[in-house]
Amino acid sequence: MTGAFQRALRGLREHTYLAAVATGVIASVLVLLGLYALVVVNIQSALSGWQQDVHVSAYFDSDVAPADQLAAHAAVAARSDVASVELVTAPMAAAWMKERVPEVEPLLLELGEGALPASLEVSLRPGSTGPLAMDSFAEALRATGQFAEIDYGREWVERAAALLATLSLLGGVLGIILVLAALFLVGNTIHLVVYARRDELEILRLVGATESYILTPFLIEGCLEGLVASAFAVAILQLVHHGVVLRLHETLPIAFGGQDLAFLPSSILFGLVTTGITIGIVAGWVAVRRFLARLA
Amino acid sequence: MIRLYHIVKSYGDRDALRDISLHIQKGEMVYITGPSGAGKSTMLKLVYGAELPSSGKLLIGGVDVSKLKHAELPSLRRNMGVVFQDFKLLPSRSVAQNVAMALEVIGAPAESIRRRVPAVLNIVGLKGREDDLAGILSGGEKQRVAIARAIVNDPAMLLADEPTGNLDGAMAVEVMEILQAINLRGTTVLVATHDVGLMDRFPYRKLRFVDGRLVASAAAKGART
Repeated sequence: MTGAFQRALRGLREHTYLAAVATGVIASVLVLLGLYALVVVNIQSALSGWQQDVHVSAYFDSDVAPADQLAAHAAVAARSDVASVELVTAPMAAAWMKERVPEVEPLLLELGEGALPASLEVSLRPGSTGPLAMDSFAEALRATGQFAEIDYGREWVERAAALLATLSLLGGVLGIILVLAALFLVGNTIHLVVYARRDELEILRLVGATESYILTPFLIEGCLEGLVASAFAVAILQLVHHGVVLRLHETLPIAFGGQDLAFLPSSILFGLVTTGITIGIVAGWVAVRRFLARLA
Repeated sequence: MIRLYHIVKSYGDRDALRDISLHIQKGEMVYITGPSGAGKSTMLKLVYGAELPSSGKLLIGGVDVSKLKHAELPSLRRNMGVVFQDFKLLPSRSVAQNVAMALEVIGAPAESIRRRVPAVLNIVGLKGREDDLAGILSGGEKQRVAIARAIVNDPAMLLADEPTGNLDGAMAVEVMEILQAINLRGTTVLVATHDVGLMDRFPYRKLRFVDGRLVASAAAKGART
């Protein structure tokens, strides 16, 4: 194995330019994959944050007594899917409205104390903000017969969930296309490397080298190229994240839900490194096997 | 050492070798001769396993080469050296590195490589040239390096396909003298050539091919076998 490693290093030294091209192609593909992952991760994070901000406003019927409102508040607070619940009584609602929209005060005075209904303002726990969970929660409140209206932005929740699902599907399809394109590009680049070393391979066959003896250094080279390429790709992604995306975030904070833009999680970084190494090894293996088959 | 029984080698509709039967004894030096396209190189390719016969039986050291599996070819080739007209050297590597390739593939220890490479370069008259790049050598010197690489494993046989084709008269003679010396050490040597002058100067048995057929097998005057 030491001999194969030394031969791999010698191959890299003797064909530095082609090795650099192969490394550059792998790195480019990994950067594309990483950029896409960066976008998807942050959009998912933003949508997830927005979903968690979605809360339910349940407006009491005007004939529900304050004591029953308190009982309803306690019942809702006891539910496992509820993170927090606030009882907004009719006077509190009127005060809130007067404070924010002073112009409506004469109208509220004319309509009397019950002009704005009391309500429960409910925030649900993460995991209970999907369309089905929120439908189920709203149905449970309606079943009590105490509420005139329950508002939870159903349409928005459904759209957000659909967007997340689409993004995940697109991410998978695009990822597969990029990896296949990378295998094709890197395969052809390594094929050039193999072609440049055809004399060496032919001589090795003539002097009795086994297929594994010939193949192993190319696999090591592919592995090293993939490793170096993934290191470059991660560095470039970090530069992009810090230098460009964060600046964009500063100018358009609302578009990202006021959240900090995240870098790729370690699991995705590990995936990129693994993908780079795999592309290098597989492309090297295919190119050398094709060449040896032609020699045979 | 080498036995062919009714060997036919076809490429599509064209027969490169037709019903060849012959026997080459261990330690013999033999010319494979004939005009261009007669089948000389095809004959050598069959012997070193670069091609398989279309029909017939080819035995090398008692082993039927036509039945060898692909993975068994390396062991066959480790027991024979091959020399070509175009030398097949790596010009960017040193003389020693080119010769050492044949030892590295069989997993020879570094110490053994350090000892054997200069010894074999001494045999071919390139003592002290270990560190020279192969690319800067003359044609004759390149062919000597190729011969050194072919014999560094002490193979039972040496195949040379037009080894003097790219060399001038004096260098061709030097190369033939080296091949002769190798044969005298007991190695079976097959030389494909159409150089009548060299065959007259170094007389050995001639296998003459014409249009894929073996038309004559004649021991020349002064031949060892």
